[in-house]
Amino acid sequence: MSLSPKNPRVLFLAILFLAVILPWIPLGPSTNYLLRVLTSAVLYMILALGLNIVPGFTGLLDLGYVGFYGIGAYTSGLLAIHYDLSLWVILPLAAANGALWGVLLGAPTLRLTGDYFAIVTFGFSELVVLLIRNELWLTRGPMGLPGIPPPAIFGYALTQGWQYFYLALFLLLVVLVVVVRLENSRLGRAWFAIREDETAAQCCGISLIRYKVMAFAASAAIGAMGGAFYAKWFRFIHPDMFKFWESILILCLIVFGGMGSIAGTMLGALILIPLTEVLRTALPQSMFNARYLIYGLLLVLMMRLRPEGLIPFQLSRSRKAEQAKARLLGGEE
Amino acid sequence: MGTLLKVKKLSKSFGGLQALKEITLKVAPEQIVGIIGPNGAGKTTFFNCLSCLYHPTGGEIKFDNIPLATPISTAAKRRVRIFAWIFLILGLIRLPLFWSFFLPQTFYKVELFLLGLFILSIRFLLVRGLMRHEIWAWGLMFIFLLSDVCFALLFLTHQNPPAYIVFTHVPLRYMAMPWGVAGGLFSLYFAGVLCTGRVRRLYGFRTSPDAVCRMGLARTFQNIRLFFNLSVLDNVKIGRHGRMHSGLGKTLLKTRFQRKEEASAEKEGLHFLRFVGLEDKAFDLADTLAYGEQRRLEIARALSSEPKLLLLDEPAAGMNARESEKLIQLVRKIREGGIAVLIIEHDMKVMMNLADYIYVFDYGRLIAEGTPDAVRENQKVIDAYLGGGQGVC
Repeated sequence: MSLSPKNPRVLFLAILFLAVILPWIPLGPSTNYLLRVLTSAVLYMILALGLNIVPGFTGLLDLGYVGFYGIGAYTSGLLAIHYDLSLWVILPLAAANGALWGVLLGAPTLRLTGDYFAIVTFGFSELVVLLIRNELWLTRGPMGLPGIPPPAIFGYALTQGWQYFYLALFLLLVVLVVVVRLENSRLGRAWFAIREDETAAQCCGISLIRYKVMAFAASAAIGAMGGAFYAKWFRFIHPDMFKFWESILILCLIVFGGMGSIAGTMLGALILIPLTEVLRTALPQSMFNARYLIYGLLLVLMMRLRPEGLIPFQLSRSRKAEQAKARLLGGEE
Repeated sequence: MGTLLKVKKLSKSFGGLQALKEITLKVAPEQIVGIIGPNGAGKTTFFNCLSCLYHPTGGEIKFDNIPLATPISTAAKRRVRIFAWIFLILGLIRLPLFWSFFLPQTFYKVELFLLGLFILSIRFLLVRGLMRHEIWAWGLMFIFLLSDVCFALLFLTHQNPPAYIVFTHVPLRYMAMPWGVAGGLFSLYFAGVLCTGRVRRLYGFRTSPDAVCRMGLARTFQNIRLFFNLSVLDNVKIGRHGRMHSGLGKTLLKTRFQRKEEASAEKEGLHFLRFVGLEDKAFDLADTLAYGEQRRLEIARALSSEPKLLLLDEPAAGMNARESEKLIQLVRKIREGGIAVLIIEHDMKVMMNLADYIYVFDYGRLIAEGTPDAVRENQKVIDAYLGGGQGVC
């Protein structure tokens, strides 16, 4: 059980390798189903990494994350249907749109503290759904948005499950690089400082509102990108897909995995999302919705036994510090 | 040598309680100045005013010849208050009326939500005191602008939207026009008022705490406020925040500039930790440090922002004799580095040893000032501490 700095990286690469060869392991007819489940797990990993920036890094409760997810999905869907843009144009546009709304919502409201802010974000996500549902001319409202063309890479349209799985993995890697770079930078440290102690952070020269808005925008951009992928993958979107429950689900993932720790966040998504599928087959049809009960039970147990999540923030930080030590002192000798 | 910090007749009151009354104080560069006084004398309030966590109710603070906060005229304040109330009430009446007539249902709900938000924020901001009218005004302007932009967009884009009855009725559409124009002009006027800073000037301006830190005024806290879940080195690096420049773009691209800056921050951080004697703990979590070490880490964090003036709030509290001796050495070393130190302390031995000049506070007033020896002999000081009678030390 040594926590040597190299270990997590080796573990990560091993998992990545496993994921890459997964579509080629002959599992018979269940391969497609498995891939589908895992693609959604990867999607939720992306979303959880995005959300993690706000409650995890900056310490602000955000209950409206799904709003940005919805904005991203509809941006992507509408752009694809009306303008038939390429995936590589749509993804950044969707992310930019999410970030824009993140800034617009964040700039006036991030001055509120704690619960007030949570209420505002909750209201925002409800508003997004309301808007999508009612603006028929734009979103077709409750009829949903069918017929989103499949994404094409170099003119080659994606159709197979494994192709989407690879695309999701690629996006996850991109998001991971972004989040890790943010975490280890001046920005990330400013966010942590705000989370730990706002007054002390201010007195260290950190402008609270500016960094909070940045965190909010970054989180919104990643959420919107997740949504954009979702729209392209599912090829049908509907206002009901972006209900409040989704926000809570993603929040559960990061609480379960460990708020503020990147590895924990991903682990949480990797465990809880496939669990839904396991429960779907394990529970009888009539009791299908009881899976939420089991979720709740799991979280209660978690709070009782390991309240800081599977991989607590402190652990990830002390691991980081060890890495820094190895790097700096190694360089001197 | 001029003066680094000049405080003139600074007052601060919380409602009816006057915490500071007309404090006048000066700190020269490379000087160690002490503030003493019994509990509740307003020393920490004074520090909070200096680092702009509180906005003083009167008086002037000049740091490096730059004013940090200006006094506020009460008459002007009253005028602005009336002004803000009128606008608020007008706005609150105008908005729902206007929306219910001319906006489609969804936008109506969006703006109703914004209105609710606005009322919520007023409720929240009332507690804050001074800044409230300015923020009200901003909020109002924001909502006006939003409603007008929505209105204009709808007017321009929708020839015949089925859902909105008002818009299908052509004469009504033209009747709606002046409303939009009036609203736009109204918000423009408001924006003008705000941008010229009239409200700002009337209210006295206030520098934000982070700007003060970047100007070169760093502080420590009486009750230790470290970032406990981060490593010691990270704490010091956060202290350097204001001296670093890589933003979002450079971070995401991980440019050479960013990597260099990060490396130099690490080096500087270790340097400051060596300075306070915490180098071997650099990679532990701040949580695991002993009490005295946490105090020194706070000093290192403040120093890493390369201040010109360091505010130390009871640095020797809870330290034993040997530790406070070490602290005295440390503060002297800081001064030799060209940094002025303003220090609050209860420990008389530390203070008499260290300070070049001492100010004594009692009940928010300055009761005495002078060199340590002069203050020691001052009858008022002795009275304040012991209620009359014996010597201080």
